[in-house]
Amino acid sequence: MIPLPGLGIVKGMSLTLRRFFEPKATIRYPEVRIDVPHKFRGRLQLLYDEYGTLKCETCFQCAQACPIECIDMGGMDTKGRYHIHWGAPETYGERRDESALRRSGRPVPDQAFAHFDPIATGPVDEILERFDHDPKRMLEILEATQEAYGHLPVGALKLISQRTGAWYAMIYGTATYYRHLRFEPPAAEPLAAATADARQGRETAYLAGLDASLAGSGSGKSPRGGQRTTGKRRGSPPGPGPARA
Amino acid sequence: MTAVARSWNRLTLAGKIIFTLIPILIVLTVGLLAVILILGKPIVDFLAANLWLVRFVVAATAVLLMSVPTAFLIIYMEMKVIALMNLRIGPDRVGPFGSLLSVVHGLKVLMKEDFSPTGADRLVFTLAPIAVFMATIMTLLVIPFAPGLFGADMNIGLLYLFSVSGLTVVGLLMAGWSSFNKYSLLGGLRSAAQVISYEIPLTLSVVGLLLLAGTMSLNQIVLQQGPHLVNGAATGGWFTDWFVFRQPLGALIFFIAATAEANRTPFDLTEADSEIVAGFATEYSGMRFGFFFFAEYVNVFVISALFVTLFFGGWNAPFPWPWPVNLALDPGSLGIGLLILIAVVPVIGTLILAAPFFVARSSMPAWQALVIGFVLFNLLAVVAIGGWAFISLDWVAGLLWFLGKSYVFVFTFVWMRGTLPRVRIDQLMGFAWKWLLPASLLNLFVTAAAIVIVGPRA
Repeated sequence: MIPLPGLGIVKGMSLTLRRFFEPKATIRYPEVRIDVPHKFRGRLQLLYDEYGTLKCETCFQCAQACPIECIDMGGMDTKGRYHIHWGAPETYGERRDESALRRSGRPVPDQAFAHFDPIATGPVDEILERFDHDPKRMLEILEATQEAYGHLPVGALKLISQRTGAWYAMIYGTATYYRHLRFEPPAAEPLAAATADARQGRETAYLAGLDASLAGSGSGKSPRGGQRTTGKRRGSPPGPGPARA
Repeated sequence: MTAVARSWNRLTLAGKIIFTLIPILIVLTVGLLAVILILGKPIVDFLAANLWLVRFVVAATAVLLMSVPTAFLIIYMEMKVIALMNLRIGPDRVGPFGSLLSVVHGLKVLMKEDFSPTGADRLVFTLAPIAVFMATIMTLLVIPFAPGLFGADMNIGLLYLFSVSGLTVVGLLMAGWSSFNKYSLLGGLRSAAQVISYEIPLTLSVVGLLLLAGTMSLNQIVLQQGPHLVNGAATGGWFTDWFVFRQPLGALIFFIAATAEANRTPFDLTEADSEIVAGFATEYSGMRFGFFFFAEYVNVFVISALFVTLFFGGWNAPFPWPWPVNLALDPGSLGIGLLILIAVVPVIGTLILAAPFFVARSSMPAWQALVIGFVLFNLLAVVAIGGWAFISLDWVAGLLWFLGKSYVFVFTFVWMRGTLPRVRIDQLMGFAWKWLLPASLLNLFVTAAAIVIVGPRA
């Protein structure tokens, strides 16, 4: 078929004229708000900072808030011994310190992720029995545990997670949310100060290494950055926690 | 501190302004009265003897005044129509449906710094936007808006229009040259090349029409497309009399060339706002830049109005219209009753129109009902008076037809801008010289041959 000259113009003009009468796509945002699903939280993304380190601090808040439990994350402690949650292998504690140094300029000790000491599990067993291993009564369980031990030992939390089936991330989130729950015994102040001193030295070393690498290569890479990842997977099966699986 | 200073300081800002203005106003009023009393007779005599002067002043003022809302309306149309075609909403914040946004744009442009680059030729730099603006505004003077409503009915109206609008090129070149910027100069030269190239097919495309019409007066051309007297009785008046049906090729060429002449898409290479900076207007800012834009949008209206005038019957209705209908209304016959009517009818009308709302909804307070009634009464009055004017004054109906047809083509220009991509500069030039010019010459020769064979009014 011989193309008629001007036919394309006519086609295009008719298209725009049809568009002219069609309903519009704009939403007048502050006045009109589109109906989003109740549990919609926007788009999930893992961001890297300018040193090439993940910005995620593994605070588990996103995993805890995720309504369809599609966020799955995990990490290990500094020495690679304590597995917080299953997922991509990750030196959580190390990165956490790094992030804390970078963001606040001081080390922020977190007793919950130190290598935990063995505890007498009798009180926990009794408490769990009393609350019927019900993860929905987690706050009461945690309060009772703190009453029994004076604080929340990591071993007890670990055990609670194992017995109730609740993710450790959720228990940790619950425990950090309430101010009256604490991870260290009230008398542990001097110890904390001592660790703070130790970490001050590590902070200086870290900053020096960072400066050296920035000045030397100029590639903007952290000397130790790049090997840490946080796994995020869609559609991981909800329900039983890692300890049970 | 003296007593005078103390009293002055106690005044508010508005009070200070009024206190200063009142004596000035008094002096001015007295002076004006004195001038009228002493020199009134000679002035009136002089004006009566030189009515063209009055006509010129009134027409120039009217044209300048009408250019402002026209440009604002077209700028608003441009924003809104293209937005609607892009499935957007477009301006919707200022005024009803965002219609005052172009006013805000105008204020913004007014408040910007009046900047001229180092090394620029200040005088020419300042005069260039004025030249462009004046060339556009002056073309409005010969366009017949309605029966009897035009600035001047020149017998060379069309020639005047083409020559004056050709002065735009001078303004563009001035702008490009005086900016002291090689890109501005290139832009100015490019726009000059484009505008001059398209002047030729534009002018040649209407020569065939001039042969048919036998006159260059735009008013006469419009009259020839309307009902004409045959043996004392008005006949015709259908849209088939329009020149577009006798000069279809001429109308097409005119439309394409006019698009290029008005720097509209797809021929808006002069300032291709999505590709180059702004061509000749690169160095312009503030109100000087605003004048270029103003001129451009008024030019869109002028081109549409000219197209309607030449090819689409001007202010003629597309069907025989029994105007003016002489309604035998003589308000003066009411005597003193007229005054009473003027005083009483708005009140009664407002009350009558407010009553249904007040009665129907018990939750509505009386003042709300009264406001609704007042607004309704005003609407009714406007509709009644407008309808009466439309029926019995032929220039009102003619003006409405003319503006309606013109804005159809303004809409078409905007529509084209929302649709068509921009052509390349060599395509632009090649199209003008290789296609439009031969086509307009063909149109001219065919028309001339037809007139020789058949006669001027077939």
